[in-house]
Amino acid sequence: MTDEKKINIVLAGQGNTGKSTVFNFLTGLHQHTGNWAGKTIEKLEGTLYYKGYTVDVLDLPGIYSLTTYSVEEVISREYIVTQKPDFVIDIIDSINLERNLIFALQLLELECPVILALNMFDLAKKKGIAIDCQKLQDIINVPVIPTVASRGSGLTDIIDKVIELKEGGKDFIHLSYGKEIEKCISELSELLHDVNLPYPPRWIAIKLLEKDKEIIKSIREKKPEIIVKVKQLGEDLEDIHGHDSSIVIADERSHLASQITRDIVKIAPHRKISLNERLDIITTHKFSGYLVMILILGGMFLAVFSFGNWLSSVLDPVFLGWHNWWNNTVGITFLDSLGWSAIESALALFQIALPYILPFYIILYILEDWGYIARISFLMDKFMHKMGIHGKGCISFIIGLGCNVPGCLSCRIMESRRERFITAVLVTLVPCSAVSIIVFGLVGKYVSLLWAFGLYLFAMVVVFIAGKLSSKLLLGEPVELIMHMPDYKTPHVKTILYQTWDSLKEFIYIAAPLVIISGVVIQAINLAGWMPAISTFLSPVTVNWLGLPAITGILLIFGILRKELILVMLAAYLGTTEFADVLTKPQMITLAVVSMFYVPCVATISVLWKEYGWKKALAVCILEILFAILLAGLVKKLLDFVF
Amino acid sequence: MNKAGSKISLSEMEDGQYGIIDSIAGGKNLVKRLADLGITKGAGIKVLRSTLFSGPVQVEVCGSRYVLGHGMALKIIVVLND
Repeated sequence: MTDEKKINIVLAGQGNTGKSTVFNFLTGLHQHTGNWAGKTIEKLEGTLYYKGYTVDVLDLPGIYSLTTYSVEEVISREYIVTQKPDFVIDIIDSINLERNLIFALQLLELECPVILALNMFDLAKKKGIAIDCQKLQDIINVPVIPTVASRGSGLTDIIDKVIELKEGGKDFIHLSYGKEIEKCISELSELLHDVNLPYPPRWIAIKLLEKDKEIIKSIREKKPEIIVKVKQLGEDLEDIHGHDSSIVIADERSHLASQITRDIVKIAPHRKISLNERLDIITTHKFSGYLVMILILGGMFLAVFSFGNWLSSVLDPVFLGWHNWWNNTVGITFLDSLGWSAIESALALFQIALPYILPFYIILYILEDWGYIARISFLMDKFMHKMGIHGKGCISFIIGLGCNVPGCLSCRIMESRRERFITAVLVTLVPCSAVSIIVFGLVGKYVSLLWAFGLYLFAMVVVFIAGKLSSKLLLGEPVELIMHMPDYKTPHVKTILYQTWDSLKEFIYIAAPLVIISGVVIQAINLAGWMPAISTFLSPVTVNWLGLPAITGILLIFGILRKELILVMLAAYLGTTEFADVLTKPQMITLAVVSMFYVPCVATISVLWKEYGWKKALAVCILEILFAILLAGLVKKLLDFVF
Repeated sequence: MNKAGSKISLSEMEDGQYGIIDSIAGGKNLVKRLADLGITKGAGIKVLRSTLFSGPVQVEVCGSRYVLGHGMALKIIVVLND
């Protein structure tokens, strides 16, 4: 009885189609996130209770195709084929119908029950794009439903349709590609009928012709003679079409999509230039584009930092009050102090998350939902290419200026593992808000503001050179930028809030364990009285090479927890914030340089560890420590001439 | 000025020019990736905007807008229309 009332559906679709808005609307608060088995890619699931049915909804990663270029694509098609969901809802961006149809055709090849949701139907209409849904439905023989996810309209129609079809039967028709291709496909499908694979034979045939590595591998294991046949058919196709059979199929899909689009879409003749177009002319212009970008990003940092400084000045006394309460009521023995340092580490996370990361994410997601982030990638692509990565990497750098942790996490938008890793390493060198506290609190205040800004510029140069080096050292082809340029649209508040909430949660979850553990360990070392020994041990580096007071050895160890602790602990050890009494100007600059680069903070290390494994994380830490010591030492020698 | 009917790479096209893709001289994966987006032989392509110092180009293909890196634009050969 209960079984009959259960339906599971998956949401599939390309990026920027409003898929997550649909997901959030359908499942509301009944969501949970996890990871795909063995992968670092997030898995979003939720439940909807509707008309007596329990509908399980899974949100597949946003992808552009179902071929094996990326992990996300493989995950998606494996899930659809092996888990056999009752329905796959393909969320389609009506404005970019043709491209989205190519993806829909790939879904149909999988022979799963598909429902097309033509999302942003209102925006398409506004642009003068009239889509004949009935005709589309007749051509591809699956239900087509117009929706406007941001207003929730049409979304219950999808579920109604799902329920209606669940109770009835389902049948498929195959859309035919070109004659010669269909011949090859049917010849292969015949041979494939008895291979024991979870995929439909027609789909396997298509993938073999497309030279899909994974499918070829599994067929070779089962029936190697088919591969010979595939080769022969592929060569025939190449003779007819003049290029590789894998491209023939992709081309065919693309042409079919364009033919269908011509049949069902009427575009009203161009009226006056739209607001979108006018905005785009300014924001992606050769000159004004950069000006607008500087204004927007500058405004963003100004807003985040002024809000952040205000909120932390409110939070700090509150947490100090808690500390005093702890000392008075719990105690100040060894164990009590360790207990407090665990709590303090956890609180410290919120001290960064609430004042800085929260507003940062909100503004970032507003910019993204509006469509501006893609413009930044466009404008910065050329520059980023010089570092061996493409324009999208710029976004991670911008986020990294706020905090390295979300900066490193955001590298997931890069297509290849190589680029993800390069970008993540470079982000760890970007001075975050905690480093800015040191730079401005020490150098800006006691040397001069000009020097502080100079250090920022210096950091940019270092990141740039490191990028050039790593793109040379790490083998592999740089990936060219291929990016869809979305139209500007009104940001959708609920989507932004959901995304912000998810990202904040992720930040806390990933960072918390290592931050708390290392906080306790370092405090234990401190309480055991081993710090002086450590600072003596480090003095050949800190004193002899860098020319800093021996105490900086201890500071730098605390700084691994959070960079701004370097300054906080310095004040605590000296009993004064008058740093000019104990440090000379060159010493301040040297200390700032070391702090900038010497190691990512524990929270950032956690991300590197989780995303790239402990070996790479450790390698990055060691390299950066050595690099920072070398660099700061050289800076010190130079400074001796200046001052 | 490039004349209608001449064959040039996408990177050489000027803002506002329109043409039909003649060939894509890339590796298999690249060509397939582009075909999945509708950027394929025979498709019409319009350059909306290019950037300074041979950066990426912004193009319109079958109603969608894309940004393509310079290296890729070099590989896409287009027959110019009026």
